[in-house]
Amino acid sequence: MSSKPTEGNPLRAFASQIWGSIFRHGLPTTDKVAARTALTNFFLHVHPVRVKKSAIRVSYTLCLGGLSFFLFILLTISGLFLMFYYIPSVDQAYQNIKDLQFVATFGLVIRNLHRWAAHGMVITVWLHMARVFYQGAYKPPREFNWAIGTFLLLITLLLSFSGYLLPWDQLAVWAITVGTNMAKYAPIAGPYTRYLLLGGRNVGQGALIRFYVLHVVALPLIGFILMVIHFWRVRKDGFTGGL
Amino acid sequence: MATVVGDTSGDTGEGEAVPVARTASVAVRTPRPRGTGPELASMPLVVRRREEEETVVTFPALVWKEFLAGLAMFIFLLGVSIQVNAPLLQRANTAITPNPAKAPWYFLGLQELLERFPPVMAGVAFPSFVIIFMLLTPYLDRNPSRRPQDRKVAIGLFTIYLCLAVSFVVIGVFFRGLAFNWDWTRILGHPGITPPV
Repeated sequence: MSSKPTEGNPLRAFASQIWGSIFRHGLPTTDKVAARTALTNFFLHVHPVRVKKSAIRVSYTLCLGGLSFFLFILLTISGLFLMFYYIPSVDQAYQNIKDLQFVATFGLVIRNLHRWAAHGMVITVWLHMARVFYQGAYKPPREFNWAIGTFLLLITLLLSFSGYLLPWDQLAVWAITVGTNMAKYAPIAGPYTRYLLLGGRNVGQGALIRFYVLHVVALPLIGFILMVIHFWRVRKDGFTGGL
Repeated sequence: MATVVGDTSGDTGEGEAVPVARTASVAVRTPRPRGTGPELASMPLVVRRREEEETVVTFPALVWKEFLAGLAMFIFLLGVSIQVNAPLLQRANTAITPNPAKAPWYFLGLQELLERFPPVMAGVAFPSFVIIFMLLTPYLDRNPSRRPQDRKVAIGLFTIYLCLAVSFVVIGVFFRGLAFNWDWTRILGHPGITPPV
């Protein structure tokens, strides 16, 4: 914050003090101010202060990693809204979704947004993986971050898959039946895995509550922790860029 | 701002930009991101450009791009959400099996494999192999170069994998009908929705 004389106006001085206590530096008028702003702002601190120009070219990154994270945030916010209306019970879940579509204000749009953003996130994460591979960005020293990224892709798929069951319509139940049947084929552990996942032999109340808890708590939490490590390592290992 | 690039021995590609005008009178230390210093530059197998590259301050250069990309994505999704409703069929009924019963689209590649190979192979061995192979990729690929012309084998193999994965999903979504048999007539349809025959 530039220290302009504000003594004349106590209100201005007070406002200036509040602003200055939140934002330590003003708008990025010079590189130095911009660097200080980035350093002292919690959210901006996700980024390094300086990067190679070639590393952030849109034609190089295609913004895919950032878009995946943006969709994760969008899904979290729209998902929170949906949670106000949704009860994970086989007797009520379907009606809750109908209410969202026809009764709740903007319920339909937000459910649609959640659904399409989920599909979008599967696509962007997948494309991000392809982008990183084609540019050889997984090579040392970034081997381990590629592994974390692989787990993030799996978490994304599982998040989408667990959300698929929640509307409790024919599409949901049978997609999950088919999907979990695949787990059954693993030797020895297969049937147990499926039983553990569904909380029973069929897709019922046990499966619904398990998928709900996985979808709204467990998987987002694991995903978030992995994302934090993923971003941190991007910073520490340096950006690639400049093929 | 006029800058000179210092610390050329560090060969990190991220030289410290020191304002020319102020170096003499005021000690200005432009912060360099930690962990990108010389200690990481000496990592093995990393091909780095020897010449110094131009750097920019991430705020606002990168933040601005991220903001615009996010905004564009949000507007696009909002538009789609206003136009296209998420599917909702009849209430779940475990007594009525839809035909065909399909997994979510991103698992239709696996379902396609299940049609073609024994379940232990398609449901367990293939996906496990893909995941383990993905995790090991950076350790198996000993080629230090990142340039596409030096990585023909890796890029070729990965492209084959991508094409197979995408085509299996496309087949599963659009070209599998009753009892998961080939179906060329009902190309448009969501998994699980089967118009009456």
